[in-house]
Amino acid sequence: MTQYRRIKIEDCTEGRGVLGRWAAGVRRGMKAFADFATRRSSTLMALGILGCLLVIVAIGPLVSPYDPDALSVLDRLQAPNRAHLFGTDNFGRDIMSRTLSGTRITLLIGLSISVFSMIVGLPLGVICGYYDRVGLIVMRGIDTMMAFPAIILALALMTILGKPGIINVILAVGIVWTPRMVRVVYSATLSIRETTFIEAAKALGVSSRRILLRHVAVNLLSPVIVQATFTFAFSIMEVAALNFLGVGIPPNVASWGGMMNEGRMYLTRASWIILFPGLFLALSVLSFNLIGDAIRDRLDPKLRDVM
Amino acid sequence: MFSFLMRRVAGMLVSVVLVISVTFLLMQLIPGDPASVLLGSNATPEQIEELKATWGLDQSMFTQFVKYIGNFVRGDLGRSLFYQEPVLQMLGARAETSILLGLGSLLVVVAIGIPGGILAALRPSGWVDNLFLVIALAGASIPSFWLGLMLMNVFAGKLGWLPSSGFTSILDTGNLGNLRSLILPAFSLGFVNAALVARTARSSMLDVMQADYITTARAKGLRERVVTVKHALRNASIPIITVVSFTFAALVSGAVVTENVFALPGIGSLIVQSVLKRDYPVIQGIMMVVAVLYVFVNFATDLTYAFVDPRIRYR
Repeated sequence: MTQYRRIKIEDCTEGRGVLGRWAAGVRRGMKAFADFATRRSSTLMALGILGCLLVIVAIGPLVSPYDPDALSVLDRLQAPNRAHLFGTDNFGRDIMSRTLSGTRITLLIGLSISVFSMIVGLPLGVICGYYDRVGLIVMRGIDTMMAFPAIILALALMTILGKPGIINVILAVGIVWTPRMVRVVYSATLSIRETTFIEAAKALGVSSRRILLRHVAVNLLSPVIVQATFTFAFSIMEVAALNFLGVGIPPNVASWGGMMNEGRMYLTRASWIILFPGLFLALSVLSFNLIGDAIRDRLDPKLRDVM
Repeated sequence: MFSFLMRRVAGMLVSVVLVISVTFLLMQLIPGDPASVLLGSNATPEQIEELKATWGLDQSMFTQFVKYIGNFVRGDLGRSLFYQEPVLQMLGARAETSILLGLGSLLVVVAIGIPGGILAALRPSGWVDNLFLVIALAGASIPSFWLGLMLMNVFAGKLGWLPSSGFTSILDTGNLGNLRSLILPAFSLGFVNAALVARTARSSMLDVMQADYITTARAKGLRERVVTVKHALRNASIPIITVVSFTFAALVSGAVVTENVFALPGIGSLIVQSVLKRDYPVIQGIMMVVAVLYVFVNFATDLTYAFVDPRIRYR
């Protein structure tokens, strides 16, 4: 069912002068966002989780009760209590402080991987979709990359890149998820280039470069944003798996996967070491999955079949 | 049917060659050469050159590639740098665990996913439907290794009902009771994917239940069970088969971590150890075998489509 946006009189009259128009624009944007957020209760919940995570990223070090790396042998393996809300690990480090500090690193890596997949995947997908010959060859390679299960390819790439480290993790997992971005952009480009407005632009003698930049790329925005959200969700899960296996970020940096790996030895004695980072990871992934679903349904319900 | 089969086989062979080529190229990107890695820093340049010549590493990349494909066809995947064993033999020794884990989790996926989806479709928005919606959301977000550890803590640690880790071969000991060790891993791996299959089965069934032939079948006075299973399920099965075949890749990925969690001697734990030890031939061998297997699964899926829906053969 088509939904028409109701235009109020004040929307049209209020925008006087540059500042007024600007304010009206911001107000409209906020209203659209509020509409989007409250349409489904699951979206509101997901945005709530994301908001909390962002607050943790912003002020985490200020509110975290202890230094995430501070050792305190006397306090080791304490169950959650008033002094240590999430308990402590085998070195007496505060799990809450480490989990909060892991939030920063996780979101930073997830964001970097999504941006990486967009920077590489968008141009590649557009060119493959617009130029048949390039597409024929490159897409074969892209499909072959997708024949390797994600974690196996990521493990192999970590070996090729050499030392464990944040940059290498971003590159390895980024390379694993970029082919999926290319696929989405490619199939969207294929359908856009058949539309009448592209035909019209061609008939007017617009150059290919201009068509790609001004007409095709703009229309790819919604599938790319949606795919980037899903990439974020999948990649933080995969990064956690790499850290859990001990081949991701070096163990001296507090990461959720790494914490779960260290806690394995004490699983039955101190399950909170694993419980809390895992819970944070699951909630983050859940929030990005839900937001991705919501943006997809909002921007373009047709994408449901593609993604 | 014959031309359909030929086209699929040709497509599959192309994919296999591409997969092998990509693996080969990726392994060429590794900095440093395996000969000096194996011999260590005390080796003389002559020794390194000699080892390179024995392995054929001094030849051109193209010659190496041709030789490499030849070896692959003959089943020679090279030797482990660390254990000095043929890679194929190492994979063979660990195949049992991985195959049993894979089949076990596939069983969990199918046994929970398909009946769950059908039940959910029979009463949309009923409690089964809502339950599976929540499980599907949770399943897509919960890391399987975390679920595995939590299950291990409860069922192996606190309750002591099931073994917490390890697996002894059934082929060697003949003891079927060893399968108990695989219950928790198979469940933690399968559960996450079962919900996805259930959601697909549900929406596919809901589509089909609207069709006229379902009304006709009911009008003929057929029992509801016959209508659901015989008329609806068969027509709804294409998307279900697709999503089950997709779970293959997810199960392999998950198995790498799950085998590690439960200390299972499978191929997944082998690749992690090989990455930590930088045992390139083993990594390469596993990548290739898994990717070729994936191509085969896709091929088998295509054939199943043709079997379930005869119209596909003529496209």
